[in-house]
Amino acid sequence: MTDRNLAVSRRSFLKLSGASMGALAAGALLPAPVAEAARRAGLLDADGDGYLPTMCEMCVWRCGVRAKVRNGRVVKLEGNPDHPHSRGRLCARGQSGLATTYDPDRVLKPLIRVGPRGGGVFREATWDEALDLTASKMLEIKEKYGSEAMVFSSTHNLSQVQFENLLYGFGSPNYGTQRSLCFNAMVTAFLMTYGVEEPSRNYDEVQFILLTGRNLLEAISTSESAELMEAVARGAKLVVLDPRFTKTAAKATEWIPIRPGTDSALLLAMINIIVAERLADCEFVKRYVVGCDELPQEMSRYTPHWAESKTGVPAATITRLAHEYAAAGRHALAHPGWRTSNFINSFQTERAIATLNALSGNVLTPGGCLAADSPEASGVPLGKPPQPAYPRVTALRLDGVPWQYPLVSLKLGIFQNIRDAILSGQPYQAHGWFVSRQNPVQAIPERAKTLEAIGKMDFIAVVDVLMNDTSWFADVVLPEASYLERYDPVNVVDGKVFLRQPVIEPQGDSRSALMIYKDLGERLGLADYFQYADEEDYLRQQLAPLGVDLEQLKITGRYDPGLVPSDEIVFNTPSGKIEVYSATLANAGYSAWPTWDEPQAPAPGEFYLLTGKVGQHTQMATQNNKLLHEVEDPPRLWLHPSAAGERGVQTDDLVRVTSPIGSVQVRVLVTEAIRPDCVYLTPGYGHLSKGLRTAYAHGVCDSDLHVTYTDPISGGQALSQTFVTVEKA
Amino acid sequence: MAVKKRYGFVIDVSRCIDCRACLVACRVENNVPLGYSRIWVKDLGVQGTYPDLQHGFVPHNCMHCQHPPCVEVCPSGATWKDPAHGLVLVDTAACIGCRQCILACPYDARFTNPETHVVDKCNGCIQRVEIGLQPACVATCIGGSRLFGDFNDPASDVSVALRGARSLQRLDFTQGEIDTQPNIFYINGDVQDKSIAPHAPQYTAAESFWRKFAIPAVLTGIGAAAIGQAAAFTKQLLDGEKEFEE
Amino acid sequence: MSEEYIPLVEQKRLRAKEIKKHNLANILTHWFNVAMWALLLPTGIAIMASPRLGLVPPLWSEAFRNVLGGTANLVRFHYTIGLLWMSVLTFNILVGFRRYFLPFAARGMLLDGDDIEWMKIKPLKMLGLAKDKTLPPQEAYNAGQKLYSYLVVLGSAVIGASGATLAFGKYVLPTDWRWIIQWARPIHFSAVGAVVAGLFIHVYMGAVFPEEKEAFFSMFTGKVSGWYARRHHAKWYWRVAAEEAAWEEGVLAEGRERAAQVTAGD
Repeated sequence: MTDRNLAVSRRSFLKLSGASMGALAAGALLPAPVAEAARRAGLLDADGDGYLPTMCEMCVWRCGVRAKVRNGRVVKLEGNPDHPHSRGRLCARGQSGLATTYDPDRVLKPLIRVGPRGGGVFREATWDEALDLTASKMLEIKEKYGSEAMVFSSTHNLSQVQFENLLYGFGSPNYGTQRSLCFNAMVTAFLMTYGVEEPSRNYDEVQFILLTGRNLLEAISTSESAELMEAVARGAKLVVLDPRFTKTAAKATEWIPIRPGTDSALLLAMINIIVAERLADCEFVKRYVVGCDELPQEMSRYTPHWAESKTGVPAATITRLAHEYAAAGRHALAHPGWRTSNFINSFQTERAIATLNALSGNVLTPGGCLAADSPEASGVPLGKPPQPAYPRVTALRLDGVPWQYPLVSLKLGIFQNIRDAILSGQPYQAHGWFVSRQNPVQAIPERAKTLEAIGKMDFIAVVDVLMNDTSWFADVVLPEASYLERYDPVNVVDGKVFLRQPVIEPQGDSRSALMIYKDLGERLGLADYFQYADEEDYLRQQLAPLGVDLEQLKITGRYDPGLVPSDEIVFNTPSGKIEVYSATLANAGYSAWPTWDEPQAPAPGEFYLLTGKVGQHTQMATQNNKLLHEVEDPPRLWLHPSAAGERGVQTDDLVRVTSPIGSVQVRVLVTEAIRPDCVYLTPGYGHLSKGLRTAYAHGVCDSDLHVTYTDPISGGQALSQTFVTVEKA
Repeated sequence: MAVKKRYGFVIDVSRCIDCRACLVACRVENNVPLGYSRIWVKDLGVQGTYPDLQHGFVPHNCMHCQHPPCVEVCPSGATWKDPAHGLVLVDTAACIGCRQCILACPYDARFTNPETHVVDKCNGCIQRVEIGLQPACVATCIGGSRLFGDFNDPASDVSVALRGARSLQRLDFTQGEIDTQPNIFYINGDVQDKSIAPHAPQYTAAESFWRKFAIPAVLTGIGAAAIGQAAAFTKQLLDGEKEFEE
Repeated sequence: MSEEYIPLVEQKRLRAKEIKKHNLANILTHWFNVAMWALLLPTGIAIMASPRLGLVPPLWSEAFRNVLGGTANLVRFHYTIGLLWMSVLTFNILVGFRRYFLPFAARGMLLDGDDIEWMKIKPLKMLGLAKDKTLPPQEAYNAGQKLYSYLVVLGSAVIGASGATLAFGKYVLPTDWRWIIQWARPIHFSAVGAVVAGLFIHVYMGAVFPEEKEAFFSMFTGKVSGWYARRHHAKWYWRVAAEEAAWEEGVLAEGRERAAQVTAGD
């Protein structure tokens, strides 16, 4: 076993590192199961060339992919025309996926830390040794402190169900996902109002689109972004509320540079006008909406004039928007948004959005404008391996759900609270952290605190593809095969079943999460929760009720069970209707109606610190990808010319940005495309891991600035509520 | 007789969202080394003052001109406008790497590939088009901005787009006897921005010397020699053949 | 051509006599050059297909591309033959450089006073003027041929160097230095053109002009008649004759010495 000290150096494009080359060379002597299987299926010809269908994982949209393979290498990725999320196209990240698979910084062998945590010195180990160590440490923690002392966290992915088996089988309640950093506000609001986590959108007949944030043309969801452009090109009116002139705003019919944190004021005023002037779809509202009678009275306080004072948007504009929205009738769409972790009042913003949609009756538009069925709901009867019931868990969740946060669903959780609980030791001290496909070090606000929390852990194991920042601080790194090299459980989209399958042999010793979880589970005494021999066995068990042959699915990549979508309009709320008035909220002591919560505002001389997305990266996951690094804009702090002039700075000058919890030095981009009271920092940069040789120390990390705020209702983060000062450096 | 193809691009300027998927797709499809590119998305920048702003993007690649200045200066015939379909192609094995074509292009569409040592440029993904696929950039365009097809086919994507266009521009370059007549048509947007305007072809001193001096000089020299010998030969014939000298 | 009066009997004797002018190496090298040029010239012309010039009919280029299988193969063929030509010539010159090439060059390439005089008078005579002047005697190669040899040797070196630049410059020259390849082309073309212009004269003189008929055949047999040598390359003839006479004299002298020894031994 060799010591592997990860020094910083540059590598040329698509060259494998020495270790992996050796592994590949050795592997070349062994039979190539993936290639053999694909040849048998007729997907690869005698030379090993051909196309294999699979699914992307460069973001969570999971477009269908056709991977072009030549001589056992992926040479090109194409969108699968048969997949509803790609429709034959892939965004920059999807196209670049092979550069992640062939990234020289891939972790290809299990690693065990040597030296101090964060020192970056690991030794290679066998799977047996690494898994034995991990299991023994986890069991040790379980014995000494109880299962609950083990935190499990993973950003949602296709193997989540088996991750959860580890979690629940082990008996820990402490489940961290990225959700509270992202969409708790949206999901909670729509669950309460519509009874779905995330209603699906359909742009076929839309005529008026109101985007609150949701920078769809940069936070690209391939098919939805394309559909939006199609609608705009067709003549649909697009209104964008955003303090920043994003690329989506650039394509909008109208850009409203609204004051951050005040979206709900504008939306409530729109609702007010619509109900006051009786512009809503009364028939629909009467039939399907709870609270329609009292709504006008409730909303009457939110006048356009009042909203102007809050938002900075002229009252006449607000009135006009309300009229235009209403005039589109069932062809209006107030987009639910996605990452809605902006302000504490983002939950209310989402409630207002849900209400606006309810008033339009757009659910009735054929195909949806906003369909009540969530895209995640399937109705497809998938099988699963048998398993026993989970052990009863009595310990409180560290994240305060539901005992401090009664309205946050267990599935969503509050990730940042877990981190804080680790620091505080309240209600009890966590001792171990098992992380998979996640980078909490970068993702959770107040990075210094997260690193401190890591310091308090007795044991950290991370399942990862690259030596990401959290892996860098791990005690054990378990190499997952990249998405082009592995099976995952099937994905159901639009009622159809899609397969992810390996298109090349897994490089080095990397393995699928399905097998990592199983092998670890067996050592934890949880073998009964992993009753599958291998990935294919798992998949066959999934497909059994459908009567689909896995071999057939490998060829086409998709299976259509022929479900007919129901015409029935169903809202899974307590009342069975759209609960604009929510008794659930009232019972918990909150406003039953969408309401105005005055947001915090920066002091004079301070700026709102905005965050967002870029089309060339996925949050903090892709900065090491050389193809994306080539096409990215250099990370900058956006600053309005008035603010820049005051400080005597020009584009590319260094400034110091200081928040209540941290300070960074970053180069500016002076631009008109932002409100003068705002700055925007390109997110996802400033990696700490020297194992990411392209991304290391490139740019700065916004988690070094963000203050941790948690909405008491939805548990969501409030990333734009951090205010900063900016000085010339 | 079948009408020949006229392949080209239509770019709907209003639909480019600067996602750069096309840039990545082209690089992967055509093994373009990092630091170089066959295609670009030109950023026109944020125009106007807050809050009345515009921000446009112009996808751009080799124009596959009707009258390509690059083809004219190639010493080895390594680049040509294919008579079957109009794409301007490069036979990299025949290229001697003189770079005259790179300098002659008004659109800076060509570059020296550091790995192959010879010229590289957009080839319309002819290797894909031949098997019925779209060029890589077009196939993956999220906004639906990039279109490709045969202008001589009224049912092609490009012909349909042109018919439905609200506005139409080309980045034509005309000067003297040069009139490139590019085969990229920009619709629904204004691309007449000096940041992306084409420039006059640069003809190197060597190429000008070759064309204006070396060729006439050599032809004159050979011509003189030929004429001289022809005259001598004529004299010889008139004098009759002498077996023996007197 | 010398205009001295030679009696008939002497003429007949001279015509019957053979003098060796070219050895086998000379002959092979000459025809090797011919063969190489026969391949290089048409393919080189086929490569020069620039539409801007309109010099070469497209049919010519297309024909060669079709035969060789594409532009790349045409280029490869051309420079491969070029490399072959260059390496054989270089080898030839280097082998026996001091023993053979240097003396040959001294005799057959350097211009002396007679050559200069010849160069002044010959063009006038060709135009039908200067009938009163006589041409000075010439060596094995006359001044015109010597001049042509300069053209060929220098030209070939330039052609070879510029050709190598065109073929391989892309592998060794950084981007900023590619102008060298650009200039290599007109240089290559001009050198070829100059040699071709000379070739017109050379081929005419050698193969068509009746007075030089012996010269043409000498490129196969290696020999010319004494008559031809005396008329056209008098200096060489008399030097060879002198060498023969000296040799004869030497043999006779040796015989006399032998006889004297025998007599003395009696």
